[in-house]
Amino acid sequence: MSISTSPAPPRTATQATGNGPPVRHDPPIIVFETVSKTYANGVPAVQDVSFTVRPRDFVFVVGASGAGKSTIIRLLIREETASKGHVIVEGQDLARIRHRHLPRLRRKMGIVFQDFKLLPNLTVAQNVAFAIQVTDPGRSHLKEKVGEALYIVGLEDKLNNFPTELSGGEQQRVAIARALIHRPRIFLADEPTGNLDPDAGWGIVQLLLQINHRGATVVMATHNREVVDLSKRRVLAMEGGRLIRDEQEGQYLKEGEAIL
Amino acid sequence: MNPIPALRFVVGVALQNIVRNRGIAFASLLTVTLTLLGAGAAVAVVSALDGVLHQEETQASVLKVFMADHVSFASILNLQYSLSSEPSVLNATFENKDQAAKQAASGLGLGNALKILQQTGGGNPLPASINLHLRNIGAVSAINNQVSTSPLLYPGPHPTDYNKDVIPRLERYIFAAQLGGAIMVAVVGAVALVIITISVRTAAFVRRQEIEIMKLVGATDWFVRWPFLIEGVIVGVLSAVLASAVLVGIGLAFGSGGNLALGIGLRFAALVVLGLIVGGAVLGSFGSFVGIRRSLAT
Repeated sequence: MSISTSPAPPRTATQATGNGPPVRHDPPIIVFETVSKTYANGVPAVQDVSFTVRPRDFVFVVGASGAGKSTIIRLLIREETASKGHVIVEGQDLARIRHRHLPRLRRKMGIVFQDFKLLPNLTVAQNVAFAIQVTDPGRSHLKEKVGEALYIVGLEDKLNNFPTELSGGEQQRVAIARALIHRPRIFLADEPTGNLDPDAGWGIVQLLLQINHRGATVVMATHNREVVDLSKRRVLAMEGGRLIRDEQEGQYLKEGEAIL
Repeated sequence: MNPIPALRFVVGVALQNIVRNRGIAFASLLTVTLTLLGAGAAVAVVSALDGVLHQEETQASVLKVFMADHVSFASILNLQYSLSSEPSVLNATFENKDQAAKQAASGLGLGNALKILQQTGGGNPLPASINLHLRNIGAVSAINNQVSTSPLLYPGPHPTDYNKDVIPRLERYIFAAQLGGAIMVAVVGAVALVIITISVRTAAFVRRQEIEIMKLVGATDWFVRWPFLIEGVIVGVLSAVLASAVLVGIGLAFGSGGNLALGIGLRFAALVVLGLIVGGAVLGSFGSFVGIRRSLAT
């Protein structure tokens, strides 16, 4: 596999100025505190996982299939609740959030998945606008906001196309534009490159790095080794539901580790 | 959230759902129409039966209170006045001894016997009475017990008279008719509810990806639920209108003298139509509420 690489954006705004390592006083935006998740069938998906993510961090969650990466994402959007421990997002313990307050939490997050989750009967613009229509139908300047989101992902000329008329990479960009429309502080991506060819996948990772550069915290679950190694960002490595490694500027595999 | 664009959006989605799932919507409309038709017909038949039974009841709800011969007319009037002011009494009429004799002669064929009695100096043996028409057949025995203790009453073994056999029988018939009607309406309502629930559940399944996306981008449960509720209400109300049109059509075709078939008055028919429409809307919204619940669980 080869990827036509272009340089990744700088890691933080402070680093971009070239004035030395960033000073990070902000409290963590995401906290996992000895989190375990066991599904109804008794299978433990995540066991005693603890980590924190600071605002504007970019974190890869890596590991083989079944390692627990997607469960981490599902716990973050409160699609699942932890069987043990605490998942805290922006100071809120997700286990204590009432069901009716979940929408407010999810509007602070942008979420994309491997399967894009676009509505095939809506155009690109309608798919992006959908996120606002179902949360704040009266919001003004909808067209401008949709145009801006599509400009960021580079699809401003595909407004009236339907998803089936787009490539996989373009469809994922539409999903990212939809996720961006609420200007989320946290951006979650669950295997966003899983259905894409290497070039398109790298393009998506670069887009996520740009979003991070604009100030959003990004957590991306992936088993795409090349994009992780090229990006040189923090890596949380999962294996059998446990967090086995947490490295700044990490690699997909530690030296001497074998692909499972 | 601005309510006008929100309303426009959810109504638009509801109509879009109906058009997109027109097969399911049509099947659901048809079955709910048939069930509401059954409910409306049941109400009409029970009401007609109830009317007949109440007519019988009115005729049977007569209590004769026989007066002693020595009682003054003023005392009788007093008693008549006090009885007619009872809430369960429709009216109280006085029947004097001569009227009683005439009634016995014509109604019971006792003319000759009474004539012989008068010729032999026996006079008129029949007592005067206050005849009470009661509103409700169930009140007859209570009023009878209340009045039986009055010293003004005829001293014989039967100071009052009412149709003791017919009353409990009629009460049973009326109860059975009302219970049967209520059970039928409840069963038909439950069937309609199940149909709407299944229809909405199917629509929710068809739209599961859209619902999933709505929830992921932060739509509230109510925002997800509204289009389905509106869809349910539209199906329920449309079904009720269709069922009402068929019922009123049949009623007009077989009715006469300003009434619909089975002697049902236009005012009652209007109430049934209103009831079906409200019932259809309630069934539709409740069925949708139940149908969409599972999709909103996470």
